Amino acid sequence: MLAEVLTQVALVIGILLPVSVLVFIGRERLVRTRAEWRDRLRTNAPVIAVLLVVLLINRVARQTAPKLSREIGIHLTATFYNVEGEFILLFKSVETPELTAYFASVYVFGYTFLLIFPVIAYFMLSDTRIFRRLLTAYALNYAIGLVLYILIIAYGPRNVMPAELTERMLYDTNPQYQYLTREVNTNTNVFPSLHTSLSATVAAFASMTRSAYPKWFPIAVVLGASVALSTMYLGIHWGIDVAAGLVLAATCVVLSDKLVDRWSLSDLFGDRLERLSDRLPWLHREE
Amino acid sequence: MNGGSAAPNRTDPGDGGLSVSRRGALAAAAGLTVSTSGCIRQVRDILMPDNIHQLSLTITTLPTDSDRESIRLSRELADVFEAVGIDVSFDIRSPVDFRRTVLYDHEFDICIVEHPGGTDPDFLYEALHSVYTDESGWQNPFGYTNLTVDDSLETQRQLEGEKRREAVTDVLEAVAIEQPFVPICIPDQHRAVRTDRFDWDERALATPQGYLDLDPTPDVSTLRVTHTDSRPTTNLNPLAVDYRGQGPFVDLLYDSLATETADGEIEPWFARSWEWDAGTIDVRLRTDCPFHDGEPMTAEDVAFTYRFLADMHPDDAETSAPAPRYRGLVEAVDSVDVVHRDRLELRIDAGRPVGERALLVPILPAHIWRERASDANGPGGATIAQGTTEAVVTDNIEPIGSGPFQFVSRTEGDGLTLERFDGHFTLRSGVALPAPSVDELTVSIDPPGSAVQRVIDDTADVTASPLETNVVGSVDQSGSTRVLESPSWSFYCLGFNARDAPFSNPRFRRVIAQLIDKEWLVDEVFRGYARPIATPVTEEWVPESLEWNGTDPETPFLGTDGEVDEDAVEAAFESAGFRYDEQGRLRVRQ
Repeated sequence: MLAEVLTQVALVIGILLPVSVLVFIGRERLVRTRAEWRDRLRTNAPVIAVLLVVLLINRVARQTAPKLSREIGIHLTATFYNVEGEFILLFKSVETPELTAYFASVYVFGYTFLLIFPVIAYFMLSDTRIFRRLLTAYALNYAIGLVLYILIIAYGPRNVMPAELTERMLYDTNPQYQYLTREVNTNTNVFPSLHTSLSATVAAFASMTRSAYPKWFPIAVVLGASVALSTMYLGIHWGIDVAAGLVLAATCVVLSDKLVDRWSLSDLFGDRLERLSDRLPWLHREE
Repeated sequence: MNGGSAAPNRTDPGDGGLSVSRRGALAAAAGLTVSTSGCIRQVRDILMPDNIHQLSLTITTLPTDSDRESIRLSRELADVFEAVGIDVSFDIRSPVDFRRTVLYDHEFDICIVEHPGGTDPDFLYEALHSVYTDESGWQNPFGYTNLTVDDSLETQRQLEGEKRREAVTDVLEAVAIEQPFVPICIPDQHRAVRTDRFDWDERALATPQGYLDLDPTPDVSTLRVTHTDSRPTTNLNPLAVDYRGQGPFVDLLYDSLATETADGEIEPWFARSWEWDAGTIDVRLRTDCPFHDGEPMTAEDVAFTYRFLADMHPDDAETSAPAPRYRGLVEAVDSVDVVHRDRLELRIDAGRPVGERALLVPILPAHIWRERASDANGPGGATIAQGTTEAVVTDNIEPIGSGPFQFVSRTEGDGLTLERFDGHFTLRSGVALPAPSVDELTVSIDPPGSAVQRVIDDTADVTASPLETNVVGSVDQSGSTRVLESPSWSFYCLGFNARDAPFSNPRFRRVIAQLIDKEWLVDEVFRGYARPIATPVTEEWVPESLEWNGTDPETPFLGTDGEVDEDAVEAAFESAGFRYDEQGRLRVRQ
């Protein structure tokens, strides 16, 4: 089942990405990137490495974090439920099978696309800072999210209100997607909503780059908002998780601005680095 | 490349500082929310000598992913409790955490849970006898103490036949009056199976034997089981209460002297035969049976098992550390004498029906478990009152038993593979017992919503976990998929922590019992796939006085169709000695 879902996701993304590269990025940038990619990759390598390390830690933590969390985590399901009660049941009034199908595909496919496309789009920009900021923000989202997941044990609405949500609970209507999500996360990790925080992060960056990618901006906002709404509509997250996701996104976007370019490699390693890169001629071939 | 290794060092200071400050803020915020919900009560009690307040209770239960019916029952009951002036909050825990909280640490007010129950009413001895209130496990998690009930629980253990039935009736009637827990209903057990590959015994599927003697069609060599509870992929320890649910897998890995059918009959298994003679069971074992690692299984291992289960600290003469599972069964065994390699005598302090049930415990290989007597230390585990030995906390992977299947591999959270144990005695000619009939048994862990689809898609043969009641009626049975119903004896109940006021008061518990419209809940939550009960035993043991007659004969619901009659409840609480304030809140001394 996991293989089926992964194939589906790969297929959808495989179609969406090339189309959107053509629509949003344009030929001119592609050509220039072809000439400059080595340079850009060199500048971007540290931040790519940071993101990969964070993702790797996340992956490893999937095994060990639940045990640690059981030791030191605070149970907050009841607190969330007491605070916001049946807020997310508001969606009941707009519930239709079509909307359920829309939000389910946004939650799985839309979200994946929303995360991947900006990475490509911002790599195509001559100014590499925005790319480095985006990856830094991603890494911060995952890192802070992981810490909060360990500290806070909470089940989402679908685990508390199955009867009220049953017609639109993602795993009741599309149980196959649970094979995918359980690869990524456990069911006690709902605070904050990383779906929301990463989508909001992407939307924030889309707003900052709307002069470079004017057409991407509205799409990112609509898709990002849909992802955030879908997590509540499908009963996966509390309103509190989504609010926390937005706060986390804002934090990460601001921090990425403060962190990127704060330390430059040459400041720290100076000559040694230059000498080293002289010895790696393939990095300079185009120059 | 060079930048790659340097970069983490560079971002670390900022990153680390960030998570520390966030953690600090978070801990502060969490401390606030937690204290407003619960701990403040204790602070308030110190500051204000008047400690009579609105009754505020927490319902501890499981999430939808683990038990859809438990959380639904909890929320329906919470609505009723709120309506009669009780403040309710929830504590939702994963299956492992739920057991540690409720069964090990006894940190709960009331819990909603599916109790494993039993084919024989003697499970109540373990569930309610007052000597077990301090222990960890399914033995008296409710902290219920009543010397008269203790007496009748002990009496029924010594008797047989009609006399025992009368004694059991005494127990059941006393328990119904006292309501140490409120039995709600016995859910039907439905499983989806494929009929084109195996022949299923509908009744046997309630027990591990349902996975033996399946008569596969000629080209079939793998039994594909789907299971919704991932705990067996993490832990296969027969003594770990926190990890043991209803799955048959541990019982297929370990043999016992006797085995129990779905009808509650005790039949020979590793014991070839036994004779009961006035409190002594003379057991003759099957010869030349090996464990999965090739070591022989002898009377010494059996004797070791009974002694170890009675006291996991054999070297420490002062304290005894009984194992947290099989407590009631082992309690009946006074001593074990090895006569020779294939014969032993159990001296039993119980009548025959209960005494023979002692033969049902799994036989542990002495050469492996003897080393597990030491105290386990280190963080990250459970603590049990009797003594947290290595035997209790080990995940026991890879398990060495002697059962019809042996362990091959597992992937945590995803699945488990077992294979037929060719050395098993059921495969010998001349032994007419259910035998493993496939080479391999694979268990795949699937979300509850997908399990049935796996069977329909022909990627699984049987759903080992009973189906959730919301899917039973809608299974597509047009192909080779069928839904089978097996006998069931586990029951949903509301358990009180009778250690604390006001749950220690039987009058209070009786009014709570009358707030539960069992008949309506069976229709609403279980879609009719359950039967309401007034007493938690199988049908043949239900006395006439406690038969369900459309309503609970002992604690009838105060209302109709799930709607509680608030005035009647107020009157009931007041006549039980409790008071309401002018805002309609139930006030108690907690």
